[in-house]
Amino acid sequence: MTDHAPAADELVYTRVFEAPRELVFRCMIEPEHLTHFWGPSGVSAPLETIAVDARPGGAFETVMVNDTDGSRYPTRAIFIEVTEPERLVWEEPGNGVVTTSTFRDLGGTRTEVTIHQANVPAAFRSPEARAGFSTSLDRFAAYLAKLG
Amino acid sequence: MTVAADRLDITFAALADPTRRAIVARLARGDATVNELAAPFAMTLPGISKHLKVLERSGLITRTRHAQFRPCHLERAALEVAANWIEENKKIWTERFDKLDEHLRDVQATTSTASTKRERR
Repeated sequence: MTDHAPAADELVYTRVFEAPRELVFRCMIEPEHLTHFWGPSGVSAPLETIAVDARPGGAFETVMVNDTDGSRYPTRAIFIEVTEPERLVWEEPGNGVVTTSTFRDLGGTRTEVTIHQANVPAAFRSPEARAGFSTSLDRFAAYLAKLG
Repeated sequence: MTVAADRLDITFAALADPTRRAIVARLARGDATVNELAAPFAMTLPGISKHLKVLERSGLITRTRHAQFRPCHLERAALEVAANWIEENKKIWTERFDKLDEHLRDVQATTSTASTKRERR
């Protein structure tokens, strides 16, 4: 139920949160919120490493730190669109991936967040790849061939 | 996040081209010479060689130095490394959502006890 049906060649992740849309949107652009969830499990995103300039052309920078070995993974993206509280679009100059976050008010205090990722090279969008490509390399190869 | 981003970029770029994807798909079934690889395409050998050079530079394929026909070989590990990006990416967003869910609960528990007179529109 997003604005447009996700194309077969996009990566899409959706989750419904029990919180008002304005709050969920702010979580995505305010370092004080981001630091609580931006790093996946086992990885922290320390507050002082997060810089968000939420306007078109502004940078979105974080450093994710591995809790176990301390290795650091800097990330950098540039905002293309900032439409509070509905839509955020940013591009990672490093790999060209464009991420669109859509915040949909479901009424009450429920908000649906959809993450669309585009510009992921076609070869990496296959269901096989998403399902864990390393175990299905031959099927993936067949998929590559079908892309033509 | 375990893969050097620049390396991944080179692999992505190498696979962005349909001819090169077809070559990779063919090599997944076994080693092949340049002539064998060129056969399904309406392409000149130099044209195919150009694509092979890109794939070679990306580390996706290697070519035997000593054999007469220098067969091309798919480096599966390199392809897996690139494709794992998707899997890792999915995991990151799933875990991020889990943490955000938790964070939103915490934040709202705090604000609802702190501001009982919060007005609602």
